[in-house]
Amino acid sequence: MATSTPTSADIPAARPLARKRARPGDQIFHAAVFSALLIALAALVWLLISVVAKGATALDWDFLSSQTSSRASRAGFLNALKGSVVLMIITIAVAVPLGFAAATYLEKFAPLSRDELRVITRRRRRALELRRAAGELTGPRLLASRLGIALSAVWARIGPPLNTFVEINLSNLAAVPSIIYGLLGLALFVQIMGISKSLLAGGLTLAILVLPIIIIASREAIRAVPRSIEQGAMALGASRWQAVRSHVLPAALPGMLTGTILAMSRAIGETAPLVVVGGVAFGTAVPSINPLNAANEDLFAMPLQIYTWVDQPQEDTWGPLAAAGIIVLLVTLVVMNLLAIWLRNRFTRRW
Amino acid sequence: MTTQQLPEPAGLRARRFRPAEQGVVLLLGAAATISVLITVGIVFTLIEEGSGFWGSVSLVDFFTGTEWFPVDRVYGVLPLLSASVLIAVLAALVAVPIGIGSAIYLSEYADERTRRVVKPILELLAGMPTIVLGFFALESVTPALQGAGIIPSDQLFNALAAGIVVGLLIVPLIASLSEDAFRAVPAAMREGAYGLGATKRVVATRIVFPAALSGVMASIVLALSRAIGETMAVTLAAGTQPNFTADPTEPVQTITAVIVAVSKGEATRGSELYQSIFAIGLVLFVVTMLINIAATALVRRFRTVYH
Repeated sequence: MATSTPTSADIPAARPLARKRARPGDQIFHAAVFSALLIALAALVWLLISVVAKGATALDWDFLSSQTSSRASRAGFLNALKGSVVLMIITIAVAVPLGFAAATYLEKFAPLSRDELRVITRRRRRALELRRAAGELTGPRLLASRLGIALSAVWARIGPPLNTFVEINLSNLAAVPSIIYGLLGLALFVQIMGISKSLLAGGLTLAILVLPIIIIASREAIRAVPRSIEQGAMALGASRWQAVRSHVLPAALPGMLTGTILAMSRAIGETAPLVVVGGVAFGTAVPSINPLNAANEDLFAMPLQIYTWVDQPQEDTWGPLAAAGIIVLLVTLVVMNLLAIWLRNRFTRRW
Repeated sequence: MTTQQLPEPAGLRARRFRPAEQGVVLLLGAAATISVLITVGIVFTLIEEGSGFWGSVSLVDFFTGTEWFPVDRVYGVLPLLSASVLIAVLAALVAVPIGIGSAIYLSEYADERTRRVVKPILELLAGMPTIVLGFFALESVTPALQGAGIIPSDQLFNALAAGIVVGLLIVPLIASLSEDAFRAVPAAMREGAYGLGATKRVVATRIVFPAALSGVMASIVLALSRAIGETMAVTLAAGTQPNFTADPTEPVQTITAVIVAVSKGEATRGSELYQSIFAIGLVLFVVTMLINIAATALVRRFRTVYH
């Protein structure tokens, strides 16, 4: 079939291009979506201005260094500051090891399919037989190895469906309202385990609350490390755990820490679960910054103290204190977020 | 995939079996199991601690009762549930237009630099402690509503102010998830529409928005679940008065606000009041769970994958 190149004669003469027509509909739409964003930002600005306007006068060194008090003129934020520090220490100590371990497992060991697990089991069994034949394995060590292999054979069957279940469960947990964690903490730590309504009970509750968030963020950081890093190590003879420990985890660590800081900035502002676990602070003793003594310290935290003040009936006397507390809390949050951003930019590697 | 596809090491001496490493993996797995234990713990405590309540209050009275008045042992969950839903709906009315509008602006109109500046600011709003929003509602939003004559000047608590601040809280959630959905629409679809002479508005509303609809819907549903579980802003701004009403200018008390109010009062374990907060906690847990399952199903059902 002959194809002929169209000549200029075949194409109708182009009209001169029309000038860009004014389209009011488009302009209105553009203005509408832009103002949607402006409204959101304006609300944030309004919020910040009203907090600063109310709290700036009450915010001074006395406020930061005085204990809480039933007289507004003397009340300060010291209990709350120290309480929040202890809460963060407990939360980090509990949630970070568990969260990093769970994330490592879910990202690097759980995805093995049934077939892959079976092959691994078979290889181990062959290795065992070879070593037994060579007389390297005898007695209790042989027994222990056999037991381990039997376990991994069982795991090849039940592991993969269990891991799928854990996945689904985790995404649901992250969406559970924080006050439900408060009810869990109240029932589990205070009523069943008999820990008093203390900093310890509050810190453990916050740890449970942020654990799913830390796991999810850490998994993303681990996933961002290319598989070739791990495969390279394994090709050179490292076991999977060796490859993960010495290559994957160090590369993922900055990302995991960034996720942890963001999770902590969520925890430090949580009020509802602490109110449910500890009620409103009645004690007056300033907590010591010693997490080992946390079971005996009254539950204080920045958001809890702010709530106590906002909730007072004489709004004029307590309002400035609450606003000053909010300024301190917000500055803490901004510093934590900047730290996270800095960490991400400074240490994250591009592969 | 069959096992035959993975060759076994033939001549090589197979890798040594390291029991210690299996132990490490076992420990890591145990840590992952904790997340399941948390779920079990939540379900168990909500049922166990509230079990006495279901024995002394009839299910029918609980789910159809329009009054919540524990002093007289009247436990009807409807005013609390309706208050939670009312505030979530008000929040959605505020947040859906603002959130989706912002998302369209950020994904279709804004240049890269604007996006880089604006997104962290929106995240700041998302990370705002809810106690701060409660303070804001009480100190600024309610007086503004009083000034505008929307609510009576002698009335401090109302559902509207709570709904507005909860709406602000979920704007970033809707904006960020919707923007992700918009940006996932392939550029080729936009170029095709532009090639046919469509304007930016037409591309945004007729091409990008429908293509990303499942993601947008999921973001709204997730935001609703967040709004229903919201506690401090609602407790402070909406009041502590159970009220079976759909009128946003009246004070209401949500499920979460009741839990806070009872917790403040140091109810002793085993008392009916103590048990009641676990009972309504269970209702809240089930409602948010159902909403989340709906969101997941929605995404799975309507997601279109573009290549």
